[in-house]
Amino acid sequence: MTAFDYAPAIALLPFVSFLVALFGGQYLPKKGALAGIAATAGSLVLSAWVALTVAGGQTYNEALYTFTAGLETFDLHLGILIDPLTALMLLIVSFIALLVHVFSLGYMNDEGETGLPRYYAGLGLFTASMLGFVYADNILMAFMFFELVGLCSYLLIGFNFREAGPPSAAKKAFLVTRFGDYFFLIGVVGIFVTFAGATQTPGLFAGEGSFPVVAEHAIVDGATEGLNTFGFEPQTWFTILGLLVLGGVMGKSAQFPLHTWLPDAMEGPTPVSALIHAATMVAAGVYLVARMYGFYALTPTTLAVIALVGGFTALFAATMGVVKQELKQVLAYSTISQYGYMMLALGSGGYIAAVFHLTTHAVFKALLFLGAGAVIIAMHHEENMWEMGGLKDKMPVTYYTFLAGSLALAGIVPFAGFWSKDEVLYEALIHGFGTEGGLGTVFLVAYAMGLLAVFFTGFYTFRMVYLTFHGEARTETAKKPHGVRWNVKGPLAVLGILATTIGFVNLAPVKKLTGLEVDFLHKWLLGAEGSGWEALLTGYEHYEHVLHDGPAHVLVGEPLGATGTLIASALLSLGLAVAGVLAARSLYKVPEPVEHTDKLGSIKTLLMHNYYQDEYQVWLATGFTYPLSRAADKFDQGVIDGVVNGISSVSLFSGSRVRRLQTGVVTNYALFITIALVVLLVVFGLTGGWF
Amino acid sequence: MVQLPTWTALSPTLLLGLTAIVLLLVDSIDPDSSNNELLAGVAGLGSIAAAATSVWFIVAGTGLPAENGELISLFDDQLVVDQMALFFSFLVASVLTLVVVASYDYMADKARQAKYYSLTVMAATGMSLLGSANGLAVAFVALELASLPSYALVAILKTNKGSVEAALKYFLVGALSSGVFLYGISLVYGATGSLQFDAVAAALTDGVPAGILGIGVLMIVGGVAFKTASVPFHFWAPEAYEGAPAPISAFLSSASKAAGFVLAFRVFATALMGDAVLAVVDWVLVFQVLAIVTMFVGNFAAATQENVKRMLAYSSVGHAGYVLIGLAALTGGSSDAYVLGSGMMHLLVYGFMNTGAFLFIALVEYWDIGRTFEDYNGLATQAPLACAAMTVFLFSLAGLPIGGGFFSKFNLLMATVRSGTWFLGAALIVNSALSLYYYTRVVKAMWIEEPASGLEIERYPIGLYTAVLVAALVTVLLLPGFDAVSQTAETAASLL
Amino acid sequence: MSNPWIAIGALALVGVLIPLSMISVSALLRPSVPEQGKRATYESGEIPTGSSQQIRFNIQYYMVALLFVVFDIETVLIFPWTVIYRDAVGALGYEQVLFPMLLFLGVLVAGLAWAWRNGAVQWVKSPRATRQLSTNNE
Repeated sequence: MTAFDYAPAIALLPFVSFLVALFGGQYLPKKGALAGIAATAGSLVLSAWVALTVAGGQTYNEALYTFTAGLETFDLHLGILIDPLTALMLLIVSFIALLVHVFSLGYMNDEGETGLPRYYAGLGLFTASMLGFVYADNILMAFMFFELVGLCSYLLIGFNFREAGPPSAAKKAFLVTRFGDYFFLIGVVGIFVTFAGATQTPGLFAGEGSFPVVAEHAIVDGATEGLNTFGFEPQTWFTILGLLVLGGVMGKSAQFPLHTWLPDAMEGPTPVSALIHAATMVAAGVYLVARMYGFYALTPTTLAVIALVGGFTALFAATMGVVKQELKQVLAYSTISQYGYMMLALGSGGYIAAVFHLTTHAVFKALLFLGAGAVIIAMHHEENMWEMGGLKDKMPVTYYTFLAGSLALAGIVPFAGFWSKDEVLYEALIHGFGTEGGLGTVFLVAYAMGLLAVFFTGFYTFRMVYLTFHGEARTETAKKPHGVRWNVKGPLAVLGILATTIGFVNLAPVKKLTGLEVDFLHKWLLGAEGSGWEALLTGYEHYEHVLHDGPAHVLVGEPLGATGTLIASALLSLGLAVAGVLAARSLYKVPEPVEHTDKLGSIKTLLMHNYYQDEYQVWLATGFTYPLSRAADKFDQGVIDGVVNGISSVSLFSGSRVRRLQTGVVTNYALFITIALVVLLVVFGLTGGWF
Repeated sequence: MVQLPTWTALSPTLLLGLTAIVLLLVDSIDPDSSNNELLAGVAGLGSIAAAATSVWFIVAGTGLPAENGELISLFDDQLVVDQMALFFSFLVASVLTLVVVASYDYMADKARQAKYYSLTVMAATGMSLLGSANGLAVAFVALELASLPSYALVAILKTNKGSVEAALKYFLVGALSSGVFLYGISLVYGATGSLQFDAVAAALTDGVPAGILGIGVLMIVGGVAFKTASVPFHFWAPEAYEGAPAPISAFLSSASKAAGFVLAFRVFATALMGDAVLAVVDWVLVFQVLAIVTMFVGNFAAATQENVKRMLAYSSVGHAGYVLIGLAALTGGSSDAYVLGSGMMHLLVYGFMNTGAFLFIALVEYWDIGRTFEDYNGLATQAPLACAAMTVFLFSLAGLPIGGGFFSKFNLLMATVRSGTWFLGAALIVNSALSLYYYTRVVKAMWIEEPASGLEIERYPIGLYTAVLVAALVTVLLLPGFDAVSQTAETAASLL
Repeated sequence: MSNPWIAIGALALVGVLIPLSMISVSALLRPSVPEQGKRATYESGEIPTGSSQQIRFNIQYYMVALLFVVFDIETVLIFPWTVIYRDAVGALGYEQVLFPMLLFLGVLVAGLAWAWRNGAVQWVKSPRATRQLSTNNE
């Protein structure tokens, strides 16, 4: 038996914990928490084993259960694809899920929350669906688990359904992501329809016969036989398909303009926020792009859209983070912003940078949320930073780990975030200079926005740190914070160490400067030499080839020479980050900070209202969609129902006529039968020419 | 393995006949016995044995051509045992089993039990024999063997006016129809000089006297239409189904209808298929007309009923219209086996879901809580399990994917598509939509409406419950297991 | 060539005309003697039940008639069988000649036994017939 035989258990274990918590949680000592911890620990161990097997050069891509067998056409099945990307993501998800479960013991159980079985059931299903999504081998299965993830986020965000905020936030998250998912669904159907004629396995992500590979053959080699592109050029049609799937990605990964659900989602319990932001829901979107990167790399237009949306979201969300007053709100906008970076990296050809940033972000964002959770426990569920202050001395573990996370988020060397963010920006820069035409320009514009966002990130992160932990305690609660136990401190400590060190898994700049072989993640995603992975065609080597030789022609350009560009880029982003930190320090590291953002005047109002994004979306809903729906309803009620009602009254009327035929007198029946027979005889006799 | 003698291929039918005689002997030894354990037990054992034997033979391939390409035929080719015969033996025997199990409670305190069971089994013998009939004479004898006990069964509740009246009407219309059918046979015999199906088919060349053959064929259509309760020979059906004891309604509307159809399949697909006949009388066109009229009359009349049993009776007429598609969509081309097979599939599924629905009515009659839709209000509060089963039957009858009725209707639709008879498909869709309306009325009454005050059920009869639940289970299981049914049916149809 | 259906039509016409003419001729010729006894239904010497306008046979006649038909058919089958019995046994053996007939007879005997036990051959006088008989005698 190899690790891959146990791979289904990775997602099934949390699913079992979901069932246990749901049906037996009432009777368990910790209301299902222990089952969840055991299950996610099991998943983590199995994921680690799988990762080791993958490190040994093996990959896995098998259909496990065919639920609809097609006759002379494709099947629909559930299957598992495990390549280095999957293995990495499995590790991240099960690791974060485990820590969140442990942390929940402190955040939920110790705080005496009610409805815990429901909570742990939700966490279990959430983890299970995300893990299932991660190793889905085809896009339909991915879509199914993608939807499950959305459902779980709805259930968990609305956990405190008796209050006013959470249900509405949950509904918003569900509706906004669902809006994106409509496009995704159409995209999935489109992919099946398009590729069904050309391959037996149109939905697969990896391998010969998977849709990215078939699409590549169609564009690069012109092998369009069997493809159904609805009369478009393959290039155009694949762009349309890619953008449709991207709709789902933008909803889930909270990219502009579908990001509005995420800040509201802070209404959920804080451990859930950690899970959503670090490893599950939001990561799902970016992961999907990475999963089918071979498809996106083929179409320059989608790359440009991804890069632009990413860069813009990174900047846009960072500016809003500057004025927020609540701890979790700041973190929410930072999440949007950081996922913007990942999209920027994917769009500009920095596949490894994106995965790298996804990894480091998972760690430090989980850390920050759990730290925020610890603060919230301490502050008796007060979230406004202006009510805090001076917590540094009272909760040192939380402070130092939170600081490590903040340094990572701000991108200060040598914390994790610096290395990944720097690589994102560096890749965008060199591809921007190297790529010809409009695509290069787009990359540079996106890069500029990303770079600018670095400053804001440093600023809002440390504004948050200073307001929360430094200075004088501004309220009574902050003077006497509530203590936290091991189950809170433990996960924080683990994550704090990781946030400091995880950047070292991919010291690509160091390698370039010194020649030391320290870019482990790079090697990981390239795949071991001579492994079976080449056949799956999901390795970075293959993507690089597609980017380079495909229609996008993404090339590398280094205006200041190899070393010069590298150092200039790193210094630029580091300098901006430090500038942001220093600006925050000078404004807020005082005993009694004031709301400097008031000086921004109308800009602050604009920022506090999130650029009126919610307002215009609400207007779209009430001012445009609602009247439209009402008109449709009128049409439905009046015309469609009218016709239906008409038909039904005609039916009932004729029914009552037919009923009258049945007189109850048997001689009448005999008469009818005889007449009918005679009529038949005469009609067919005449037409048949019997007489 | 021991090679059984050839005549044992007829075992399902023989077992049923033997059971009937045993029941008569029991009644001779102890007239007017009310030992319903013994009587229902004997009848149940016999019917289960017959059903099991049919399944065994189907699986063992008894009905498939032997190596020399010949099917098992007996009595100088008067009887044939092919997959279709076994398919219908199974159908009849399984419906009989359900009815017998349900009757254990339904007939518990009624008179003439031994006669009831023996007549039921005799009718089943006739229906099963009809499936094997390979000549018009045997077919007629088998038809009468199925019909005569049916008349008596409808009247078995002698003191119930409705039962007796219904039986008399059934008998009179039946006598008329039998006469028509027999006359048709004689005319076909006159035109072809033969009664055996293959011989009839062989004799049908261009020189056949057109008028005699044409009238004969149309009259045979009439006989078939009577047995299957198709318009315009359907008049007996609503009355008989309503007046008869509900298990007998179940038996007549499922098994008897199936027997009528197997006769039609054999006569028309074997003996009367071919251009020579169709040039004289286009019976496919006749069936098309009958199918559409039957669908519409059955469903439209069902939509306006107030009495649930009568509604089911009309819906049964409507379903005869659906199955008629199996004949009306025949084109003589490659799609024929599929078309015929889809008719058989629907009959099998219908056998379970419709029997179940009527047995639910039997359960309600047993509780004595009334017959109209209003009387069913809030029944689910008292008997949720039985109401859930009834819901399965009704939605499956309507063609929702909750039971096998979804696939069988779908196959009928596909049959119309493949043979290009789109108007039949359209009629099927329109009528299924309409049927959903009146089926839902029952479901709504049971689950949503408030129960009338004082609605209370004290007894939960085990036999009726078992029968209803088994029927529901089979209906649901036919959804995943439909593949086996459809393959058997198509194989059987392709052998004709 | 004339249509053969003309002949059939003529035959049908003749078939209707002959009975009609016979009835009408006898109606014209016969003397009319209305009398009570003429209206009485003939029931094999039994006292008729009810009036002759609504003919009501005692149901037991049907019972006997049915049994008669059954055994009549048996005779029809058994008669030719006996004629060829010896030759048939020689050619095919008992198995195919004697046993099926025994089976057939066995089924009939079972039916007869049933009918007997259930009182089909027991002549029961209907209460009303007995009452009428007693009134007539007075």
